[in-house]
Amino acid sequence: MNSKLIKDLPDLVTNDVISQDVASKIEQYYLAKQQQAPNRLFAVFGVLGSLLVGLGIILILAHNWDNFPRGAKTILAFLPLVIGQCIVAFSILKKKSVAWKEASGTFLFFTIGSSIALVSQIYNIPGNLSTYILTWIILSLPLIYLLKSNTVAILNMICITYYACELGYSFMSIGHTPWLYLVMMALIVPHYYKLLKHHKEANITSIFNWLIPISLTIVLGAFVDQLTELGFLMYLLLFSLFYNVGKTPFFDEQKLRRNGYLIFGSLGIVIMVLTMSFDDFWYMERFFFNSQETYVSTILFAANLGLLIYSYSKGWLKTFNFFQFVFILFSVMYLFGLNIPIVGTIVVNFIVLALGVTTIKIGIDKFHFGVLNYGLLIITALVTCRFFDTNMSFVIRGLLFVCVGLGFFLTNYVMLKKQKSRVESLKH
Amino acid sequence: MQRKHIFILFIILAIAQIAVPAQMIFNREAILKSGTAFKFKTEPVDPSDPFKGKYISLNYELDNFKTKDTIWMRNQEVYISITNDSLGFAKVISASLENPKKGDFLKAKVNSYSEYDSILRFSLSFNEFYMEETKAYSAELAYREAQRDSLPDNTFALVYIKNGDAVLDNVFINEIPIATFIEK
Repeated sequence: MNSKLIKDLPDLVTNDVISQDVASKIEQYYLAKQQQAPNRLFAVFGVLGSLLVGLGIILILAHNWDNFPRGAKTILAFLPLVIGQCIVAFSILKKKSVAWKEASGTFLFFTIGSSIALVSQIYNIPGNLSTYILTWIILSLPLIYLLKSNTVAILNMICITYYACELGYSFMSIGHTPWLYLVMMALIVPHYYKLLKHHKEANITSIFNWLIPISLTIVLGAFVDQLTELGFLMYLLLFSLFYNVGKTPFFDEQKLRRNGYLIFGSLGIVIMVLTMSFDDFWYMERFFFNSQETYVSTILFAANLGLLIYSYSKGWLKTFNFFQFVFILFSVMYLFGLNIPIVGTIVVNFIVLALGVTTIKIGIDKFHFGVLNYGLLIITALVTCRFFDTNMSFVIRGLLFVCVGLGFFLTNYVMLKKQKSRVESLKH
Repeated sequence: MQRKHIFILFIILAIAQIAVPAQMIFNREAILKSGTAFKFKTEPVDPSDPFKGKYISLNYELDNFKTKDTIWMRNQEVYISITNDSLGFAKVISASLENPKKGDFLKAKVNSYSEYDSILRFSLSFNEFYMEETKAYSAELAYREAQRDSLPDNTFALVYIKNGDAVLDNVFINEIPIATFIEK
C-alpha cells in the first residue's frame, strides 16, 4: 500500500493536489520507515527458521537410531538442548536484537521437548502425553519473560491448550479437569498485559487478542464433568464475557479485525442461541446445583455482571446493546424455564430475532455494511432453522423467506443511498 | 531487570532444563544397575507417538490375579508382588493397596475387578518399547511368525525392578533381542 502511495506521488503533484515539498516529505517518511523493516523481516524468518529446525530435530530423533549405543543416544538427547541454551545465553549476554532473542528462544523451546522425548524413548518410559507436555511447558515458560519473547509465549499457549485437551477430552482420562490450565494461562497474562499496555497497536498483540479467546473456547468444554446440560450455559456465558470485554473502549476503539474478543463473542452467542432455539433442547433430564458446572457457571456469570457494572460506572454503556445483557436472560431461563419447552423455544426465538435487529441497528449506526449484513444473516439463520422444525404452512414459510430477502435488498439500498448523500454533503 | 540478573536467572533455568532429563536418566540407570531382572511373557502390537517416534505396545500375559478382596477401584494404584515361576517367568504372589516393602513388587493400575470369578485385572506401566521407525511394524510381524513356527511362550520382555519402579530393558523373541531378530 505504501509503495502504491509513493507511485501515485508524481501524479498527485502534477494534478496540484499536493505540493512538491509535501511529496518529498512523504517519500522520506516512508523511506525512513522502510529502513527499520528489514529487522522485522529478519525476526520473522529467524523464528520460522528455528521453528522448522526445531521440529526437524524432534522428527530426526524420533526415528530412534537403533544402531547407536545407549550412551551415544543420551549425548544426542542433550546436544541440541545445550546448543540452544548457548545461543540463548549469547543473545542475552551480547544484548542481541529482538530477532535474535525470538529465534533462539524458539529453537530452545523445541530442543527442551526433544530432549525429554528422547530420554523417554531411550529408557522406554511409558508415555503419558499430558505429563510430558506439562514438563515441557514448565521448563520453557520462564523463557517468555527472560527473553521477552512473543513466539515462546504463543508456543507455550498452544502447548497449554493441547495439554488441557489431552487431559480433559481424551477417552482415557474421564473425570479429569485441567485446573492447571488456568494456572499456566495466568502465568502468561503478565506478558499479555505488557503487550496491551505498550504495544496496543502492534500486529503481535492482535494475534494474542485472537488466540486467547480461541484457547479458552477450546478448553472450556473440558471443565464439563457430569452435568453436560449446563455446558451450553457455560459456553454462552463465556462468549458473553468475550463480547463484553470486546466492548470495553480499549478494544472497541481498535479496528474490528484486531478485536478477536468481540467477533468471537458475537459469533459464539449467536451460534449458541440458535442451537438452543430448537424444540427439544429445553427438555432436561436432571439438574442439580452441587456440581462443578454450576460453580464454573456462577463464576462466569459473576465475571460478566462485574464487568457490566464496571462498564456502567465508567459510563461506557451509552447505547443499549442487547448482546451485552443476553446472558442474564439465559441464566434466568436455565434456572426457571427448564422442562417448560414452550417458554424456552418461544422466548429464545424472540431473543435471536432481537439479536439480529440489534446487529442491524449497530451496522446502520456505524455505517458498516459487514455488520449490517451479519445481522440479516442472523435472522436468515433463524428462519432457516424454523424451516425444519415447525409445522408452519409452506405459504407462511415462503412469505417469511421473501420478507427476509426483501430486507436484505432494502436495508443495503437505504444504507448505500445514505452513504452517497453523506459523500455528497462532504464534497460541498 | 538488569542484564546480569536476567543472565543469572537464565542459567538457573538452563540447569533445570538439563536436570529434568538427567534426573530421568539417573533414576532409570539406578534401577538397571541394582534392580532385579524379571521376564514377562508378552505380545507386541504397533502404534505410534507424535513426539517420541514409533514404539511397539506390549500386551502382558501377566495382567490378572485371583483374589477374594473386593476393595479395588478403577484406575487405582495397586502393588503387585512377583516372583519367578519354574520356567523363569514372572508370576504374581499377591496384590495389595499398600506398599509391601519386602520382596520384589511393582506398581500397576487397576482395570477392573470381576466379583463373578473374583479376578482382579490390572495393567503394567512398562508397556511401550521404542524401536527404529522401520522396525516397529516388522517386529509385530516377526512376533506373529515366531508364534507359528516355534515353541509357545517364546516372546518376553526383560524388566528391571527396584522398589516398585520398573525399567523395560529389552524385548526378546526366542532369546534374541527383537531388533536383532528382525534383521535376520
